[in-house]
Amino acid sequence: MIKPLYLIAFLLFGLNCNAQEIDADLLAIKAKMDAVNTFSAKLQLDLDAPFINMPTKRATMEYQRGKDLKFSSDDFVILPKRGLDFTLSELFEHPFITVDRGMQTLDGTPVKVLNVIPTGEDSDMALATLFLDTEQQRITASEITTKKNGTYKLKMEYDRASTVLPSYVEVAFAIEKLKIPLNFMGSDTKIDRKTMRNMDTKTGILKLKITDYKIDLQP
Amino acid sequence: MMIPLLKAELFKLFRESKTWYAVAAVLLIEFIILIAAYFQGATILELLLDNLRQSFYFEGTLLNGNLLLYIILNSLWFNLPLILMIVSSALITEEYKNGTLKTLMLQAVSKRKLMLAKYLTSAIFTLLMLLLLMASTFVLAYGIFGSGDLVVYLGTLNFFPAEEAFKRILMAFASGTLSMLFFTTVSVTLGILLKEPAKTWIASAFFLILSSLLLKADFGLGSMERFFFAKLTNSWQRFFDYELQLQEILIDNIALTVYTFLVALGGMYLFTKQDVG
Repeated sequence: MIKPLYLIAFLLFGLNCNAQEIDADLLAIKAKMDAVNTFSAKLQLDLDAPFINMPTKRATMEYQRGKDLKFSSDDFVILPKRGLDFTLSELFEHPFITVDRGMQTLDGTPVKVLNVIPTGEDSDMALATLFLDTEQQRITASEITTKKNGTYKLKMEYDRASTVLPSYVEVAFAIEKLKIPLNFMGSDTKIDRKTMRNMDTKTGILKLKITDYKIDLQP
Repeated sequence: MMIPLLKAELFKLFRESKTWYAVAAVLLIEFIILIAAYFQGATILELLLDNLRQSFYFEGTLLNGNLLLYIILNSLWFNLPLILMIVSSALITEEYKNGTLKTLMLQAVSKRKLMLAKYLTSAIFTLLMLLLLMASTFVLAYGIFGSGDLVVYLGTLNFFPAEEAFKRILMAFASGTLSMLFFTTVSVTLGILLKEPAKTWIASAFFLILSSLLLKADFGLGSMERFFFAKLTNSWQRFFDYELQLQEILIDNIALTVYTFLVALGGMYLFTKQDVG
């Protein structure tokens, strides 16, 4: 009877000890990101989502440390609430612990898989899985599960080895079935109820090409 | 011979007070639809974008002149033809009612040419009304609500950039005008058949409602089904499919024009066979 209790106590204690530490590679990436004071860039957005047809859109974005990202466009653009936090400021906003899940290969690149778990109640993030390119010190992919805004998968590509911010981001998100008001439909539009029923939740992908970065790094 | 007849018919049409009442009614309807479209548009966007709002935020507004114009187009093509049909059918029914047709026939006027002049007058009136309506709607919608991207639901949620939306709305107006010409031509032919104004109005309203009901009906005719007149009157809506099938829409519009000519030819044939005296 006592043995299992020892075992539970050891596991809890042991896990707690390990979990308190924040991964060194993540901290290195954070330090690299923290150096970014402000940046602005041009965005090209392509939405690939079931039941939505949208042409390529263009926008500009501006970042200033400690402030929310600002977007402006002459068109109507859809931007993900999450996934554009390139400097990881949202991720590091509240206290968290990291759990090392080992190494994996992602698109031919060895990456370190890391779980980020918030320790407080304030964070909207429930769990984040980060795929770190430890050699270049940057995040190549992530999967973020939020408390309110569902789960997001992000894939990032960088055009140069030394660059801090991505040149291409793919945000995969869950999209629920559309609720269509009948009076907005064309008078001869037919509702395919079977298809509508079957598309309870589908995945949409937002592809972002980011160009013309103007980055102000801290001296 | 044809030009003086046409001039006389146009003069008679625009001298009638009911024509101007119709113009005022159409403009009033347009204004009411515009106000309703604004509130409807806000609700529609709220519902359409509700599930996207959970994950995304939007930059720019979709409640703009283009969305209002699209909602107006949806309302207009049912409310407008009835008024146009009443005015057009009066071109012939009033002549029967007042007995002026007999006087006309005592002169050396060809029955065929007289009817052709009446059909042309109806077409000119319809075109002028549509031009007036289009110009005023564009001025009001863009003047008050500005331009912007258009969102439409036709099986899929289609987004169009402002310039593309403007082009498509313009083309939809042109295609809708062909539908209006079809309906007004039908009303003149109904006037020849029924002769009495009230009966013709009821028949015109019935025809309009029937067309609207048949639009949704599926007759199991496969690819030929789209050539049924009721379906053709709604071709304008196809300008809002994401992939524009211009050739198909053009074929549909030509088919509707053929229907219009056939209805007019039928009416002219009936009139020439009729004993006016």
